[in-house]
Amino acid sequence: MAHLRETSDKALKLLRTLPRVQIGNLRPNPNSKQNDKRGRAQHGGDKHGAGNKGSGQRQNFMRLGYETGNQPFYLRFPYEPYYKGHHMKRQYPPISLLQLQVLIDTNRIDISQPVDISTLCNSGLLKLKPAEMEYGFQLTDEGLDNFKAKINIEVQHANEAVIAAIERNGGVIRTAYYDPRSLHMLANAKKWFEKGVPIPYRMMPPQDAVDYYTDAKNRGYLANPEEISKDRLVLAQKYGYQLPRIEDDSAYEMLSATKDPRQVFYGLEPGWLINVVDKTIMRRKK
Amino acid sequence: MLKNILNKSRQVWTPLARGLSKTNTQSNVAAESAAATNITKPALILPQDYADYAPLNRNAPRQAWIENIDAVAERKMGLIELHPDVFAAQPRVDVIQENIEWQRKYRYVSLAHAKTRAEVRGGGRKPWPQKGMGRARHGSIRSPLFKGGGVIHGPRSPTTHFYMLPFYKRVMGLTSTLSVKLAQDDLHVIENVDIPTRDAQFIKDLIAERNWGPSVLIVDKEYMFPENICYATDDLGYVNLMPAFGLNVYSMLKHDTLVLTVDAVKHLEQRLLYQQHRTDATSKGGKFKLDQV
Repeated sequence: MAHLRETSDKALKLLRTLPRVQIGNLRPNPNSKQNDKRGRAQHGGDKHGAGNKGSGQRQNFMRLGYETGNQPFYLRFPYEPYYKGHHMKRQYPPISLLQLQVLIDTNRIDISQPVDISTLCNSGLLKLKPAEMEYGFQLTDEGLDNFKAKINIEVQHANEAVIAAIERNGGVIRTAYYDPRSLHMLANAKKWFEKGVPIPYRMMPPQDAVDYYTDAKNRGYLANPEEISKDRLVLAQKYGYQLPRIEDDSAYEMLSATKDPRQVFYGLEPGWLINVVDKTIMRRKK
Repeated sequence: MLKNILNKSRQVWTPLARGLSKTNTQSNVAAESAAATNITKPALILPQDYADYAPLNRNAPRQAWIENIDAVAERKMGLIELHPDVFAAQPRVDVIQENIEWQRKYRYVSLAHAKTRAEVRGGGRKPWPQKGMGRARHGSIRSPLFKGGGVIHGPRSPTTHFYMLPFYKRVMGLTSTLSVKLAQDDLHVIENVDIPTRDAQFIKDLIAERNWGPSVLIVDKEYMFPENICYATDDLGYVNLMPAFGLNVYSMLKHDTLVLTVDAVKHLEQRLLYQQHRTDATSKGGKFKLDQV
């Protein structure tokens, strides 16, 4: 950016000696406009750039993979199981610890509150597309050594090193499953609230995800809390850091905040209705 | 050096002048203003609060004199600091040109129209037999080959030329134009738009006295201008009034001199800086929809 700053100052100084910029003396950048005319003769005429004979001239290009009559390569071998069912697999777009630290340092997310998908999406820099089988974010270990924030974060997938990096700073991490409908709500909460529909329950994870989310090693949201606190100590010993005591922390309230497994938004229960216009919450009768 | 700065109606800081500390400069300005003969109020010095939006380039401060408008003779009422991101932005003349082109085109509907061979009257009958006449074969006297025949690929009415320039090109167009106007001494700041008379001669004299113009665009924050200035400029085609929300690249360049009130400067800065720094900027990048708010 530094060169831009200097050039702007130079250009403005130059403009002081130049004639007044007016409507009449402006013109587009050279070669920025494409001529959409089909020239004749020496102006690109003859074959108009399409060549002589064949699919080039007739513009009937062969389809991708077609080998003009041979059995195409992609059909030659009948059994290709590598991608079987890949369109059904759950995707977890990555965000790195470095990215997260930058988001925090540039005030894009507020770490005095628990961080979840809606916090990340509201930063305006991360997008989640539940319709494309994206089931939430995975936290990756890039920038692990430089991660300094103390946060309470909930992601959908995290490995051991990432969990250690967060807990070393006195933070809390949970991995949690959200069904596509809940993800849709979290990805653009305001838009969903504008529909004026009561908040539904979050669904339980599918069978193949139960193991992951009930495992204390993954800090799964369905794991036994006692096992999780035990595993926090085990991990601290494995990675060789002193585990900060959350109980003594001044932000204990925030750090210990969790969602119910059937709850979608922090602080909002299923069945409640949010009125965005009047900024009111309609709660369920007890 | 300093005297030179003060004698000019507005000074874009030269590298030498930049070395002066801010407090030093301001106290000198205050002293100079106090020494002026017909001062009634203390000089107005409006430093910028950069707390919200720190400038990209701190080495390019911009200041402008606040001029009076209650008399023909020019008095400097104070100084205003202008935000470099708005008034010393990269002068993208190409983006200014794109804005001008867009403003011309988006509301232009071409009514040029030519008839095809089907629409021209007549021509349903074969003009002469296919064979035996010694003449070229033709099926219709309205064929494009014929004089008075239809036109191939002619203009069809109505043809709209509507498109939207990307949002941030429009923002950049405004900052570029403001920066260019300031750099070329075509931007003046006045304290308000209260003139003492509704006589057009007053405005004419004022413009002549201060070397404005010939055409002048006066911009205030409010859309209701005081009565006097409305009457005074009503018959002058080359002096126009505009509220800040209507400010656009075309009008700024259409007029030689741009005159902003202090309120308008602050309003424009606030709006443009907000647009430059908003976190949901990507939401403005989408396709233009007719029914969007």
